[in-house]
Amino acid sequence: MSKSKNKLTICYTSLECNSCKLLKKRKFFDGDFVFSSSENCSDCDGKMMITKIFGVTMD
Amino acid sequence: MDFNFDEFVAWVGEDIDTLMMIVWILPVIIFVFYGQRIQLIISSNEIKKDIGKLEEYTASTKKDFLNYVKNNLTAKTDPSTKLDSFFDYFTIMPVDMDPNGIISKINHLVRSRENFIRLQINSMFSNLSSVELSKLQNLLEIVTTLQLFHKHTRHFYLTAKKQKNFPLILPLQMMIPFIMEEAVALKDAIPAIKNGQPIGDSIGPMIVGQMMLNITKESAAFETVWSKTTFEDRELFLLKAEGPNATVGRPGDGFEKIISHKKPNLVIMIDASLKLEGEDSASIAKGFGAAIGGIGTERFKIEEISTKNGIPILALVVKQSLYEAITLMTKDIADKANDVKEELYKMIRENTTSGQTILVIGVGNTIGVSQ
Repeated sequence: MSKSKNKLTICYTSLECNSCKLLKKRKFFDGDFVFSSSENCSDCDGKMMITKIFGVTMD
Repeated sequence: MDFNFDEFVAWVGEDIDTLMMIVWILPVIIFVFYGQRIQLIISSNEIKKDIGKLEEYTASTKKDFLNYVKNNLTAKTDPSTKLDSFFDYFTIMPVDMDPNGIISKINHLVRSRENFIRLQINSMFSNLSSVELSKLQNLLEIVTTLQLFHKHTRHFYLTAKKQKNFPLILPLQMMIPFIMEEAVALKDAIPAIKNGQPIGDSIGPMIVGQMMLNITKESAAFETVWSKTTFEDRELFLLKAEGPNATVGRPGDGFEKIISHKKPNLVIMIDASLKLEGEDSASIAKGFGAAIGGIGTERFKIEEISTKNGIPILALVVKQSLYEAITLMTKDIADKANDVKEELYKMIRENTTSGQTILVIGVGNTIGVSQ
């Protein structure tokens, strides 16, 4: 999370399950990087892969 | 002589034109003799405020950097003094009176500087990973650049003031909005670099990195990887910087290695590109030529090899502002990855035939993006 003048940017991580293609979005955790797969899918036994990491800025 | 107000009012009433003449002429005389000085005071006040901001940015990023080092890394000795000395390092560019062979000289100079900094940082900390090392190099570069901006702007400002030289402050007045734009972007890039998050410039490596998934990767050059795959009866060579390190790799050297293996029929470079004012952010543009920024040595190498071998180069870029390019990747840019990939496949279909070989280079800083 970074703060510029009157602006707040929150970083999110998008994940996709390799098996059931479930999409998930959560806040960025330290150590996340795009195309890494560290978490398990909540719906099946598949692995979730990080597909995007991006910032959303709010005024 | 006593001043008589009633007489003065009577005189004004009789000779209003004389008074008005004095009222008009006085400012004209002031502006003729002191106009430049007044303009200098107004302009320099604005510039002074910006210099103050630059000083503040330099101090805050320096503090941020040193705190990051202290809190996240295990130093062998106190790193503050040594790192502090790095902020003042300068680079003397080669003589360009005879430009023949200057590229290799610049290349040597830049590489030597990188190697020196890398070795020095490595020697200061124990168990430093390549990702952390690359992050430190990027952070150091940001602080050094901000310090340079501050010092140079202050130098011009103080020289102009000292010599009461208004023309000297004019170029500074014109340049300061651009300097401030870059300074703000650099300052705001710090959190993304510290956290190892992708920046706008990472879009090229992100697209090529996705194409490299589940394929064997080989080293092409220092901090640069390449893979082989196929697409609709065509052979695809993929090249990018090695992620998730905060590096742009050495695509020029990588291209050299690939061409010694097999000559591609087409090179397509995917990169982030600075948008023009009025253009939409995250819009895709296609063109010709080597899409790669930096000091120019990598572009020179790629152009040199492709010219010698008669290989056409096509460019596919994602437009963004300078701020977006070096700070945390925006959702709009991240969402464009699939569209760019579709454009890339379309470009391959339109410009090559089956059996041909295409080299796709994902250009940019691959921080937070693996492959």
